[in-house]
Amino acid sequence: MSTHPASRFAVAAFAAVIAGVPVVDGTVDLARRVRPPVADLFTQPPTQANLRATEHAMEEGSAVARAVRPWMLAARFLGLRDGGDKVLRGRGGWLFYRPGAEYLTARPPAGGSMVNDALAAVRGFRDELDARGIRLMVVPVPNKESVYPDRTFRGGRPPAGALAPETAAFLSGCRRAGIPVVDLFAEFRIARAAGAPDLYLATDSHWTPAGLRIAVGEVARHLRAPAGPSAYAVLPAPVRRTGDLVRMLQSPAIEAAVGAEVVACERVVRAESGAPYADDPASDVLVIGDSFLRIYETDEPGGAGFIAHLARALGRPVASLVNDGGGATLVRQDLVRRPRLLEGKRVVVWAFVERDLRLAAEGWPVLALPDLPRRIE
Amino acid sequence: MVFTSHIFVFYFLPLTLAVYYLLPDRTGPRNAWLLVASYVFYGWWNPWFTALMLAVTAINHAGGTVIARPGAAERSRKAALVLAVASSLGLLVFFKYAGFLQVNLNHLLGAFGADGVRVWSIVLPVGISFYVFQALSYTVDVYRREAPPARTFADFACYIALFPQMIAGPIVRYGSVALALRERHCGVSLFASGTVLFMLGFAKKVLLANPIGGAADAAFGAAAPGAGVAWAGVVAYALQIYFDFSGYSDMAVGLGRMFGFEFIKNFDAPYRADSIADFWRRWHISLSTFLRDYLYIPLGGNRRGPVRTYANLAIVMLLGGLWHGANWTFVAWGAYHGILLIAERAAGRAPAWRALPRPLRVAATFVLVLGSWVWFRAETLADAAAYFTAMAGCGVPADARSAVLAAQVFEPGRLVPMAVAGLLLISRRQAHEWSAAVTWPKALVAFAVFLVALAAMAAQAFNPFLYFQF
Repeated sequence: MSTHPASRFAVAAFAAVIAGVPVVDGTVDLARRVRPPVADLFTQPPTQANLRATEHAMEEGSAVARAVRPWMLAARFLGLRDGGDKVLRGRGGWLFYRPGAEYLTARPPAGGSMVNDALAAVRGFRDELDARGIRLMVVPVPNKESVYPDRTFRGGRPPAGALAPETAAFLSGCRRAGIPVVDLFAEFRIARAAGAPDLYLATDSHWTPAGLRIAVGEVARHLRAPAGPSAYAVLPAPVRRTGDLVRMLQSPAIEAAVGAEVVACERVVRAESGAPYADDPASDVLVIGDSFLRIYETDEPGGAGFIAHLARALGRPVASLVNDGGGATLVRQDLVRRPRLLEGKRVVVWAFVERDLRLAAEGWPVLALPDLPRRIE
Repeated sequence: MVFTSHIFVFYFLPLTLAVYYLLPDRTGPRNAWLLVASYVFYGWWNPWFTALMLAVTAINHAGGTVIARPGAAERSRKAALVLAVASSLGLLVFFKYAGFLQVNLNHLLGAFGADGVRVWSIVLPVGISFYVFQALSYTVDVYRREAPPARTFADFACYIALFPQMIAGPIVRYGSVALALRERHCGVSLFASGTVLFMLGFAKKVLLANPIGGAADAAFGAAAPGAGVAWAGVVAYALQIYFDFSGYSDMAVGLGRMFGFEFIKNFDAPYRADSIADFWRRWHISLSTFLRDYLYIPLGGNRRGPVRTYANLAIVMLLGGLWHGANWTFVAWGAYHGILLIAERAAGRAPAWRALPRPLRVAATFVLVLGSWVWFRAETLADAAAYFTAMAGCGVPADARSAVLAAQVFEPGRLVPMAVAGLLLISRRQAHEWSAAVTWPKALVAFAVFLVALAAMAAQAFNPFLYFQF
């Protein structure tokens, strides 16, 4: 019986694809004088960890996969509104961080929530600071999804805010322990109800200058900032930002399609000299936290973020320590390594995004601070 | 190694095929090569797992050898059978159920105020349930004189380890491949039908099951799903598990064809079943026929009166549930199906049911099957109960979080694949038969969806098959 030509085509096409990709990858690696990751199979012992690492390197290092991936991601995002594992596409062009959405809706993992660990870490940190005569103020920063749940889906009714059970447990736990905690959830809800401009960026997981100002105002109120004119002034400093959620999609085609946002930042400067805001490590206020402190501060335009605006509200410079994505633990570890930052401090303001209560990669260990001479009043 | 992975598609498979077809056209060297490749495939998860598979292989090969020895006394044949079956099942019980048994023992001891035992942390070797059942089928079939003993240890080890179906089936009986292990040829037509079936199975998994699974994960993982989300979630899971598992089976059968084997068809449009008994004739056929031939019929089947038949059905379904995993949810899933099967049998050919139009019977069966998937997918019995409550609309009232959950479940990236999956369920075409004779339209369609699926694979995160956990 003769073979149908379509059968020959199916075999040839299939073989060409499955054998062609490694040939192309190998050729590209050789042209770049890079050792193909597959070679690791013959140079390392075949342990489970080595095999996984090699497989991962082969997937990530494949020239064909790297060429195809951005286009496939773009097709999914633009055609099916699918943002993959990281991004949830809301309505009106708004993007959300999928783990933040899951934090709000999903049950805590089987191993249990980290809220108790977080409360223990906060209490431990408070006690360590108390022993040095320093007050702790905790600022859990709401996920964008908690402030704008209605913008994730067309059925949502504005203005609405949502409080994740773990966040609610953390806030009440802090209050029970007598730890000053700034409730930005309530403040943002009130601001939205009052018709405030957008408090978060549409294509980024962080707050806008408007959201940041509300947070600063609330923290400053808790710190009893002095009334009257500040030593600082602000200058308009609009910037164009490609949102972090857009960048997470790892596709230039998506970046081009979504475009950048224009953000009306205000840069803090010395009122007298016009000099840009600068931290003072000797300040009596230390602000520590994650990327919510970094945005507009060390990012463009610079000196326009939470830290600078808090300094303006307080009328004096502050000291700061920022660790992107490490608001729960890494920033405290940084502080342990740089204990002199605590010298002369009266207050530590600790800001971290709420989803760290479940997702903090390093967990919430209780850390001991190195000894310092006690502050002399 | 996972079929839908870069290393399998672009390295393991082409290398294995190339060497296989470069070897002389005799089963000896080709089986030996398939054996080596299969152990590499299996050892890729954890090299130590191969020792366990080798042990199961050796036990059952030795058992088969003793059983098939010319002039062997019935007593020694039976002893060899019992020994091989008991030790194989013993290994399965130890690796799969020891922790579960210890946890439940501790609950029991705790109720009497006694201290619990230390719960061992045992890694479950992937695919153990499948290859142990295959090994048992060999020993039992040789004992029953329904299959010849393996020609060589290498042939038998090749049968147990055969990588296309080793991890998640179909459960291939030794008798069905014994001849092919001795002699087989693969022409272009058979190879082509294998590639087409593999490509279709690959697309089912990557383009349908994976994105649909996101909706099921969001709904079943939700703290407080509403009724709409809960129903959408269980429908999504029904589609996910079917396209995931049948996609894997299509790939397995397709790969088998590429090497000259013809494996059993594992699915026959199960969601077009018009009763639960019909569903079990169509779903995971290799398991249901295994349980029928090696458990239900030896227990007496339906030959010993209605009460004994019901008891046999209950035993088979409970054990079938437990086979899927060491969790009470799987037992509940088996019990649920057992109760439905018993109810159907007790009702007989009830005229009221038969009088319903077939589409209505199919829809009612589908809804009943959806209920079973809740037990299957939930992590605990309490979770399953809460999920049923949500489906009934008696869960937690909707709040601001409901919109965020709806956004995760009703994304177009989930709904479009669900719609495509639904159309495929309605269609009468099935990949297994559709791929048997390759024509130009079939070759072009399969190749096109394969290219899209490969591109999608490059952009997806890790995507293990659901049935790997069993």
